[in-house]
Amino acid sequence: MEHRTLRAFTILTLLALWASVAPTAHAQSVGLPTPRLLTVTPMGAQAGTTVDVVVSGDYLEGLESLHFSSDSITGKPKVNADGTPVPNQFTVTVAADCPPGNYDARVTTRLGLSSARTFQIGSLPEISQAGKNITVEAAQKVTLDSICNGALTARQVDHYAFEAQQGDRVVVDCAAKGIDSKLTPVVIIADADGQDLVVERRGGLLDFQVPENGTYLVKIHDLTFNGGPYYFYRMALHKAKEGEKVVRLPATRAVDAFSWPPADYSEASVIPEIESKDNPRQIMPVSLPCTISGRFYPAADVDVFQFEAKKGEKWWIEIASSRLGLSTDPSIVVQKVEGAGAEEKLTDVLQLTDIPSPIKVSSNGYAFDGPCYNSGSADALGKLEIPEDGTYRVQVTDLFGGTRNDPQNEYRLSIRKATPDFAVVAWATHMQLRNGDRNALSKPISLRRGASMPLDVVVFRRDGFDGEIEFSFDNLPEGVTATGLKIPAGKSNGTVIFTATDDAPRGFSRATLTALSTLNGETITRPVELASMAWPVPDHWRENPAPRLLTDAPVSVSESEAAPVSIAAVEDRVYEAKAGEKISIPLKLVRRCEFSGKNLAFKTFGAGFERTPSFDVSLDADTAEAVIDLAALKTKPGDYQIAFYGGAVAKYSYCSEMKASIEAELEEAKKGLADLQAQEQAANEQLKTAAEDARPEIEKSLAALKASRTASEAEIKAIEKRLQDATRKAAPKDIVDIVVTPPIKVRVTAAEEVVSK
Amino acid sequence: MIKVSPVDSSRFGGNLMMVPMRTVLRAGFIALSLGLAVSTSTAADSSESRSISFVNDVVPIFTKAGCNAGPCHAKAGGGPNGFQLSLLGFEPDEDYESLVIEGNGRRIFPAAPEHSLLLRKASGQVSHGGGVRLESSSQEYAELVQWIEQGMPFQNAEDAELVNLTVEPERGIVQPGESVQLKAIAHYSDKSTRDVSRLALFESNSEAMLHVDERGLAEAKTLPGRAAVMVRFQGKTAVYSAAIPLGAETGEFPPARNFVDELVFGNLRELGIPTSEVCDDGTFLRRVTLDIAGRLPSEEETTAFLADSSESRRDQAIERLLKSPGYADYFANKWTTLLKNRRDDASDITSNFAFHAWIRDSLLANVPYDQLVRQLLAATGTVVENPPVAWYKRVKDPKEQLEDVAQLFLGVRLQCAQCHHHPFERWEQDDYYSLAAFFSQVGRKPTGIRGEDLIFHERGLATAKNVKTGVDLRPAALGDNVGEITPDQDPRLYLADWMADPQNPFFAKAVVNRYWKHFFTRGLIEPEDDIRDTNPPTNPELLAALEQHFIESGYDLKELVRVIVQSNAYQLSSQPNEDNLVDRQNYSRFYPRRMQAEVLLDSIDDLTGSRTVFANLPTSTRAIALPDNSYNRSSEFLRVFGRPENTSVCECERVQTSTLAQLLHLINSSEIKNKLADGSGTAAQLASSEDSEEARVHRLYLLAFSRKPTTDELETAMAFLREPVLNEKGEPLTPQQAAPQKYRDLIWALMNSKEFLFNH
Repeated sequence: MEHRTLRAFTILTLLALWASVAPTAHAQSVGLPTPRLLTVTPMGAQAGTTVDVVVSGDYLEGLESLHFSSDSITGKPKVNADGTPVPNQFTVTVAADCPPGNYDARVTTRLGLSSARTFQIGSLPEISQAGKNITVEAAQKVTLDSICNGALTARQVDHYAFEAQQGDRVVVDCAAKGIDSKLTPVVIIADADGQDLVVERRGGLLDFQVPENGTYLVKIHDLTFNGGPYYFYRMALHKAKEGEKVVRLPATRAVDAFSWPPADYSEASVIPEIESKDNPRQIMPVSLPCTISGRFYPAADVDVFQFEAKKGEKWWIEIASSRLGLSTDPSIVVQKVEGAGAEEKLTDVLQLTDIPSPIKVSSNGYAFDGPCYNSGSADALGKLEIPEDGTYRVQVTDLFGGTRNDPQNEYRLSIRKATPDFAVVAWATHMQLRNGDRNALSKPISLRRGASMPLDVVVFRRDGFDGEIEFSFDNLPEGVTATGLKIPAGKSNGTVIFTATDDAPRGFSRATLTALSTLNGETITRPVELASMAWPVPDHWRENPAPRLLTDAPVSVSESEAAPVSIAAVEDRVYEAKAGEKISIPLKLVRRCEFSGKNLAFKTFGAGFERTPSFDVSLDADTAEAVIDLAALKTKPGDYQIAFYGGAVAKYSYCSEMKASIEAELEEAKKGLADLQAQEQAANEQLKTAAEDARPEIEKSLAALKASRTASEAEIKAIEKRLQDATRKAAPKDIVDIVVTPPIKVRVTAAEEVVSK
Repeated sequence: MIKVSPVDSSRFGGNLMMVPMRTVLRAGFIALSLGLAVSTSTAADSSESRSISFVNDVVPIFTKAGCNAGPCHAKAGGGPNGFQLSLLGFEPDEDYESLVIEGNGRRIFPAAPEHSLLLRKASGQVSHGGGVRLESSSQEYAELVQWIEQGMPFQNAEDAELVNLTVEPERGIVQPGESVQLKAIAHYSDKSTRDVSRLALFESNSEAMLHVDERGLAEAKTLPGRAAVMVRFQGKTAVYSAAIPLGAETGEFPPARNFVDELVFGNLRELGIPTSEVCDDGTFLRRVTLDIAGRLPSEEETTAFLADSSESRRDQAIERLLKSPGYADYFANKWTTLLKNRRDDASDITSNFAFHAWIRDSLLANVPYDQLVRQLLAATGTVVENPPVAWYKRVKDPKEQLEDVAQLFLGVRLQCAQCHHHPFERWEQDDYYSLAAFFSQVGRKPTGIRGEDLIFHERGLATAKNVKTGVDLRPAALGDNVGEITPDQDPRLYLADWMADPQNPFFAKAVVNRYWKHFFTRGLIEPEDDIRDTNPPTNPELLAALEQHFIESGYDLKELVRVIVQSNAYQLSSQPNEDNLVDRQNYSRFYPRRMQAEVLLDSIDDLTGSRTVFANLPTSTRAIALPDNSYNRSSEFLRVFGRPENTSVCECERVQTSTLAQLLHLINSSEIKNKLADGSGTAAQLASSEDSEEARVHRLYLLAFSRKPTTDELETAMAFLREPVLNEKGEPLTPQQAAPQKYRDLIWALMNSKEFLFNH
């Protein structure tokens, strides 16, 4: 953590320096463009159906295909009856056996795979919002037991009308944040005149008992009346039976969910809490170990479990509730019980609250001083050492639960003997600088040729697990390698680097990232979960970044662009030196564009080497040398993997071939127009001399030519506009790019012993 | 240096009880170092003059003379010339030290008492910024001299402690113009009593009704009603309640529809004040719609209501209004203003919208008031998931939290007690800090959203330190023990439980009084958030009955509104009769009031058919539904008509006075002109309407006043509409050309009438 902060500071300093030489470098120009899929409309489909979807996003030029994180969902470009493709549209088929849930959709473009957008599969029939249903009169009719996909217009309220009978129980659920939407939904059931009856604004279910037969309205708007294509929602209207527990629409998982459940967890062995209506402080006896399921319900609920234990016993206590996706803040207190009845005396033994993030999370200031991903949790985990034989109580409360009466607020409480284990989450490394790399945070692993991309990796260590962690990668595209820099025992974070060779062929694959360690002499493996921002956030003060876990880890490599600069060790070998000496690593540079600034300041990734002082690499030279003083670092003998990284301000030109292609298109269109003009002129001449009976035919042909000419002129105007747009995009811009070397192997051998005589 | 051995109190006349030892030592030191013979107990023992005590005699003289008032020697930060007294003498030991010890004892000259700086200044013999406070011929002056002669005793051994103060008589009927002499009686721990009228302070709660002089002579003026005199003496208070009858022939009162009528009319009967008639249907509908939903009735509503002949039409209208979202919007506006829903930064928008919406939705769903307050007080979590948390975002200091809660939900102003004993009340600093202790375990964690914290209950024993005594105090609710609170329990829940206890003397009273004022313009207690023994209600039985009804209804706010507006007392005409014109507080007629800023703007929008558009909100958003104060910036109308900035829990932040700027805005502002000239507005619609002119005038009167025009009004309007209008060349315009201008002018005239601007 300390090293990370140091690294952050150095990057900050580095970029501040660049800012002085390259004043055009600003917050919007961080990270080379990668495709961003921002909307998929509709946002989901019923299993067993085929729907047409429209996609939109940034940097989607050269859009090719649509992919999902499950093979049960397939997309193919939509074509018109005449076989011509419909821009930005795909026909999506969902297999009948596709389980309901959230899946990630991505598109491929000339730059490779895009960022992910949730696509939700359900079991109810689906409809889409039709037209502007923004008044009571224009309310769109919907039927019960259906899902409607819609998006809000700013400063407006969407209206849906449904018929219901007296006594019906109608439950409305509205998925928004849980499907990556920016919407904070307000859902209202109103009477036919639009008069509000019941309202839900906290993201809960709207459970409505129909008072009399008739038409009712569902009104939806954003809490602060924002709107636009990013404020989309899926509204489920369900007729529920009395007493039925309505299942919520699925939601994406927050980053903290990566650490739950433990590897050997099974719901089957969970015992339910005994709830007593009469005695809210009822004490439930349990024997250890155990896993209990309970609820923070009703408001200010206190659940108490009592057990016997012997001095010296060590128990690990863990509670999960926030990590189940609930807005709770569990707290655990363990007390020793002495005496009974009025004589009973309770002594605190242990108190557990939040699980801290293993690394510093960005504070919410203008400076971006850490990742926006909190891999800690509001849940609790800790070790209980029994001080003496006796009776103990574990008391569980929700620190948010004083006044909230939500029976959905569940928890799982595990009291167990140490079961060392770990969980791993990773996300694309971002630049730490003024107002940040935030708008580039949703970074898919879509590599340019010759590029290396770093990911931050964070380890959650459970029950005292202290092992070293290494990584393995499967199913990478051809020409792509990935290396995880080993995380030493006790450390919580590290780096993974993906590298595409200079000549990697275009391709993508759904990769598997695995973390490995050794426990009791056996190798254990755990999947590495990936996290990403749902949206780029240009203004952190106005909008809260919304990171979430992804459902897969696709990796792509693109041929259409190469990295602005590739820097790597000259030789692919192990660089050796003795402890206490200096190690020299020659580097080679391959530049592919111009840069602002002459030098690139390199820092070092890799356990044992993070404190290597920053050193400059000339961007004008073809070679450089990294010299590391092992004496200063006090690096112990051993095998290491390191990488150098820094930021360079590239003069980047986006999709210049697009400009050329449009120019060609324009030339072609102009030629076509000239042809038409010539034909028209000829027809006019012909008309002047034509016989009376031939005139109607010529006039008809002339009219057709005129129409074609007008259409051609309009087309030219449209092409010119596109060209203007492409020219603007292709104009070289200063963009800060993260430059990372592929991993370099280093071996530090033991220094020769000096024997004093 | 003279060594002072352990003090023998007899050396100081045996009169140094209860004085801190440090003070005694210093007094002794000064006396000895001056070589003075400190007087012994002879003076006190004299049969001619009783012994004077600093605590029981001197301090009250200071208080009566105003020496220890806030602007004088009790000024925060130091009294003039370094002579600091405690406010109203609540800390006699500190005052003794200031007077006798500080400044090397320069304020007292025991060798020649009348040459003491204290007396020379107070009597104006030497220049005194505060003027002459004591005539040298006065009894008080003589007592101070005597006290110095007696050796400046702090308290005499035989002095009993003041335990109570009463006033005689306690209540009575005083005819206008007549007077009654009040007598302040101090009761001491030894069961003795003393007439302290000369030293007590008398203060009327309504000088216009009952004037009281410094000796306690109370004189009734000509305004009828109930007034009170607060009597104060050494931290104790007593109240005299006077009924000042009008004594007119009351005749028959309207029938009593519920207990409100029984008690209002009962009070009027006692005072001899007749009521006005019950108002007509149009006036009722307009009044109740404005008061419940903050808007004018629509033309259709008025037409239907006026055509309804059913007995229950008024009650039905009340039910419709209580069910409507307008009720929730209007009262949410009231509560969010008091709960400081204020936008200081653009990033406040989400929490402000969420908080406003939470109140609004709760009112719509008629969440019981005790539950609403409980959710607010004990809020935990994030703003979006639990919007009452937003209150803790704005009100961060636990002291401000307790002060706001006390003033808003209990009607108790505790601010004074942070630093000293409350001058008009029994509250002491311990009461203040034990209330603060309820908020001591409010934990905060940063969130990803700027300026926003997660609120949670931080486990631990709740305490708050009395900054004066340094003692850590456990939570107690205005002196009431709320039971043992363990570290695991959120003390705020205990505070909420205490409030919602049916026996709570403040909670229900505060809200029923606030709501009463909403509908009747004047609270039964004024100001509505200053409930104390010394500020009695004008109709205590009515307040108690409302309180009881509210508690029994399960803290049902809609029922509270219902019982108030269903009463004939509420439905009385605002037209006074010969007798009740003077009545300002007994509700013998409806007291008209200017519409508040938001309601007036919406009403003008409704009348002109032109909506005011607020930034980033749906165009249909009414001013009463605005979530926070930020819209005041762009709306001159709202500012001019006194829409508050949500900085205070006091309703008084809303300015309801009339100003020239308001008048000019209505008469001549471009905003109003544009509304009148709206192409799709009322004037344009009427001008192009095919209805008869008479029908169109009818429509306008229904819109503006919820009634049809009288014959005279109709004739005047018709005559105006038929007056020819000339163009620039002096040629008459056709009626079609002239119509838009005519109707704009007619609407303008109606809008500027008091009948439109007031709820009456």
